[in-house]
Amino acid sequence: MEAETKEKIVSAEKPEIVAPESWQPVIMGILCNWCSYAGSDLTGTSRIQYPPNIRIIRVPCSSRVDPWFIIKSLQTTADGVLISGCHPGDCHYISGNYYARRRFLVTKKLLNMVGFHENRIQFSWVSAAEGPKFAKVVAKVTEDIKKLGPLHLYKKENFDK
Amino acid sequence: MDYTKQIQEIAAKLFTENTIDIFIGYRMNGFDDNQVPVLITDPKDISKLVFTSKSVFNLTNYLKQEHTRNKRIGLVVKGCDSRSLNMMLTENQVKRDKLFIIGICCEGVVDESGQKMQNCTECVIPDAVVHDELLGTPAGRNDYKINVDIAELEGKTLVERREYFEQIFENCIRCNACRHSCPLCYCTKCCIDQESSTLYSGSNTTSSAFHALMTWSLHLAGRCVDCRNCEKACPSHLPLHLLHKQNEKVIYENFQEHLAGVIPDDRGAFYKYSLKDPDDFIM
Repeated sequence: MEAETKEKIVSAEKPEIVAPESWQPVIMGILCNWCSYAGSDLTGTSRIQYPPNIRIIRVPCSSRVDPWFIIKSLQTTADGVLISGCHPGDCHYISGNYYARRRFLVTKKLLNMVGFHENRIQFSWVSAAEGPKFAKVVAKVTEDIKKLGPLHLYKKENFDK
Repeated sequence: MDYTKQIQEIAAKLFTENTIDIFIGYRMNGFDDNQVPVLITDPKDISKLVFTSKSVFNLTNYLKQEHTRNKRIGLVVKGCDSRSLNMMLTENQVKRDKLFIIGICCEGVVDESGQKMQNCTECVIPDAVVHDELLGTPAGRNDYKINVDIAELEGKTLVERREYFEQIFENCIRCNACRHSCPLCYCTKCCIDQESSTLYSGSNTTSSAFHALMTWSLHLAGRCVDCRNCEKACPSHLPLHLLHKQNEKVIYENFQEHLAGVIPDDRGAFYKYSLKDPDDFIM
């Protein structure tokens, strides 16, 4: 047993909920096909270790991410969401990530207003050459969400985990 | 603020000149001093029309309905209503040449208890921005104020905010009156109605209400003009403006002071971008 699991983890939004000892966060990773998905592939082929808590979905561009993808993830299994795309100016579709950036800010602030901790929804720019950065980003997001504990907010009833 | 006489005169003129088929205005509801919208097709009914500070509803909502589409329409708009009309014109939902718009320089409307509506105390553009005829004297643009409820909620902790909003989503009965009363929710098929989907359910649960209201408010982010038709229509009296005002505040503060519907042909904050948009929340 690792030392960190002995400490009780409580949910940041609902302090009455204590995580079971074996609890591990589930993170939804939505990555853009041209940069971040290739970057995560490079992380794997370079044999860099990163936490296995992330479940990755590939999308054509970060502007393909509808805000309700985030809502949907948080309502079903995910304890946190990581969305990653190309660096500003590097978008395969020229300006997709600029549009996405505006949407992300508004979505993040709105979810924070209705009671989600701001670290549950995170964004990053990772290029295809930044394998080590992707590993660092995933490690940081996993660590952040481990501190916040399980998410029990507006979960879909009878949803089969 | 009483433009009853002027509006009746203009409506009578429009009907005699045969420039409109329908006139949309307000009439007394018949049992107290509150008003309801009225669609007039017969010049005999023009005497029913009124306009006072009790004329609260946003009449542009009636332009999206089937029986008013492709008709020549005259209607009355206040400052906020004209902004939503501007959005509808930009999004090609109505044709400008089929409309005769009576713009009002609004001094603020009052709710049923006689108090000035909260959105009127924070109104940025009280004068109609799109009009064929303007009634009243233009007052000019006011300073943008952050909504008092949002400012109060921001001072609270995360857990308190979560408890407050959980109450709101619990009390929602998923009647979709907010969506029907919104002039900018004109889609004939709405994504929150897909009952067969595992995620979108028509059922009346807290999670489905959360989902529907969040999706709805994010679809209106950068487009909502704060007319509060949704709040007036809500049978559970939910403070739905909180979601819209939060989005409006973030957009105003971060995206070059953008306000929906003020400039013609401005499609909303999410249809454009700037290289200087904030980037500090992204790793």
